[in-house]
Amino acid sequence: MSYLADALIGAVTDPAMLGLCLFGVVVGLVFGALPGVSSTMSLAVMLPLTFGMSTPAAMMLMLGVFFASVYAGSVSAILLNIPGTPGAMVTVLDGNAMARKGRAGEAMAYALIASLFGGVVGWLLLVGIAPVIAAYALRFGSPEYAAVVFFGLALVSYASSGDTLRGLAAGTIGLLLGVVGRDVVTDVPRFTFGTADLQGGFDIIPLAIGLFGVAEALSAMERAPRGGRVQAPTGRLMPKARTLIAELPAALRGSFIGTFIGAIPAAGSAVAVAVAYALEKRLSRTPERFGTGIPRGVVAPEAANNACVGGALIPMMTLGIPGDSITAVLIGVLLLHGLRPGPGLFENQPEFIATIYAALFIAIVLTGLVAGFIGLRVFNKVLLLPRRLLLTGVLMLCLLGAFSVRNSAFDIWVAVGSGAVGYGLIRLGVPILPLAFGVVLGPILEENLRRTLMIHGDWSVFLTRPISFTLVMISLLVLGGPLIVRALTTLAARRRT
Amino acid sequence: MRRTALVATAALIAAAPLAQAQGFPDGPITWVVNWPAGGGQDTTSRLVAERLSAELGVPVVVENYDGAGGLAGMRVLAGAKPDGYTIGMLGSSSIIQQYTTDEPVMLDQLAVLSFFGPDPGALTVKADTPYETLEAFVMAAKEQPGDILNGNDPPGGASYISASIMEVALDLTLNKIPYKGYAPTVTALLGGEVHSATVPVPQVLEAHKAGDVRILGVMASERHFLAPDIPTFAEQGFNVVAGDFRAVVGPAGIPQDRAEILSQALVAVLSSAEFVAAANAAGYMIEPLGAEAALARIKAFDAQVYPVLEDAGLVTNPR
Repeated sequence: MSYLADALIGAVTDPAMLGLCLFGVVVGLVFGALPGVSSTMSLAVMLPLTFGMSTPAAMMLMLGVFFASVYAGSVSAILLNIPGTPGAMVTVLDGNAMARKGRAGEAMAYALIASLFGGVVGWLLLVGIAPVIAAYALRFGSPEYAAVVFFGLALVSYASSGDTLRGLAAGTIGLLLGVVGRDVVTDVPRFTFGTADLQGGFDIIPLAIGLFGVAEALSAMERAPRGGRVQAPTGRLMPKARTLIAELPAALRGSFIGTFIGAIPAAGSAVAVAVAYALEKRLSRTPERFGTGIPRGVVAPEAANNACVGGALIPMMTLGIPGDSITAVLIGVLLLHGLRPGPGLFENQPEFIATIYAALFIAIVLTGLVAGFIGLRVFNKVLLLPRRLLLTGVLMLCLLGAFSVRNSAFDIWVAVGSGAVGYGLIRLGVPILPLAFGVVLGPILEENLRRTLMIHGDWSVFLTRPISFTLVMISLLVLGGPLIVRALTTLAARRRT
Repeated sequence: MRRTALVATAALIAAAPLAQAQGFPDGPITWVVNWPAGGGQDTTSRLVAERLSAELGVPVVVENYDGAGGLAGMRVLAGAKPDGYTIGMLGSSSIIQQYTTDEPVMLDQLAVLSFFGPDPGALTVKADTPYETLEAFVMAAKEQPGDILNGNDPPGGASYISASIMEVALDLTLNKIPYKGYAPTVTALLGGEVHSATVPVPQVLEAHKAGDVRILGVMASERHFLAPDIPTFAEQGFNVVAGDFRAVVGPAGIPQDRAEILSQALVAVLSSAEFVAAANAAGYMIEPLGAEAALARIKAFDAQVYPVLEDAGLVTNPR
């Protein structure tokens, strides 16, 4: 603890360190807000800059980029309906709905406050009980992993708005799209029709950019009056203190979900935000209001998404295993400085571990300051642009973002094609979210399910292992709950007569 | 190593006026990475690119092409204009893909410029398994074929090939469980989901030092510089050499003089003490070889791996 205090004081009193972190935060905010520029890519771009720096300085810069870019994914999600990262996919639902109602300013403020809250909770858990969480994360084998993704899918199908049948149909299309590409278990190409472009499968970002962004731009052209603005003005910025306090439990739940799921290597923020959002909808007394633009639909996933940052650092710091592709770049930075993260570093160099913790904390604070005092005002100005400029700009950003994910021209066509599909789905009243989650979660479920069966031989393993048993049972309750309730009430009604 | 450096320096001095005389390179060079940012292929590329830029006096810009298991980037590389302004990093998976994919990029579509270094496979077991030595492991695998779970890449990936080469060479059968890359494989090993793994040494070194896993042997002709106390397979009486490697290539058809300039500059960068120290610190073995020696090494790998792929039933595009 005293190491941490020393490191914090040392960094705060060093203008060069603060300046570096600030630079990282600004870069992260700009890159993260651009659709298609992922946090991983932002960090990789900054990587060569760190070659000549001291290790603490490099971590200051990189953690600044890391946290700010994860937060900034919510900006394009709320304002433009484009999730720049899988972690912002759920924020689109209520965030953009709020913006459309003229509450963009508030939605952005909720997202920022929830992100900072989630970031701090994730940080506290990282600093306080990282080894405990790491030990729990290691207990997540393939069966647990398959079960948690099944749980996520069950919750998403429950959480998506509109009628269940259409939601399930959309989810199934997503699962089918997720099948395309090389199969992880056998490496056999599936549904690639002999073309090389499809061998890598559909990347979620171009798909999501098309399904949400392009489709939204098309519908907005239809919706908005000629020459006018796309959306109502941004409205007030600061939510009322009373409503903020009401969101506290949701933010706390989201933060814990984010930290724990973020700590499971390779689980990623997409699973965390899906679980956080669906859990809130399940707990809510007015679940039908989710998706119509309520703060809770922004707060829970944003808290979860940013708590994942601290979560992902847990296996990296304690075990030397990257929690996701972003922490993989961070490990790369440490390696290039001759430091090999792992149990040895964690136990023998507490001063150095403390500098990393301090850097993350400063990154969270600076993100809050920069985004809160400058970012929110600047970002919201985007909506004041005339409709033709904004929508053309959005479409251009969409295509650029789709291309830049893999430097692939094919992905531009994916974005255009899925934009057309998304527009059609909107007109038909089919929810898009289950489709997007089918694409993200389907391959993870399949891979882990098949590996489970390879290792354990049969399905009973899901019921004999406590974590997977619990998750499967809750999933079944979520899916079958309404049916059971209906059956019980009819039974009771019959008894009475 | 020192001799190579000397030769390279001499070559460089000879090449410098040549480079100026021809005006190559006089513009930015694109460095293609066929994997996403942040991985080993990307990190090594950026390490070299930065110094190559200083060496040649022109910007060297790293571009990541993700997709099709690395094939998308290789296709960009092979399809680029062979003017020396597009080069990139080649890994062992691209050699394997020649035989396992539709529309592959073949080795003869590429011009090999230099070797970067090997990344030998290693056999690691969880600390609480009964396999104290490599011999005990091999005996157990022979007694109960298919009982030992071995975590590795999906079929065709580097650590899958390492495991397969070991199986063929030692005549044993493992139950190979595929994971999407090294990090999930190591996680599964630490969590006890698999008994063993065939990932390279740097991936398991820290866990080995902490006593969570045991590295039983390195599949190389020499010990690994990061773990000099761990014997090779050969030292323990088992003749297994396997693992990943990296080399720098361009599209086939680069004019001879330009290819030479690039090759010499690369060898000079790779031989510099400063670069070797940085790369070693990051866990990468460096073996700077010129174009011809590099091509020979790649062809040797090609010859070694083809029968293994055939044996595993992975060949869809036979020779």
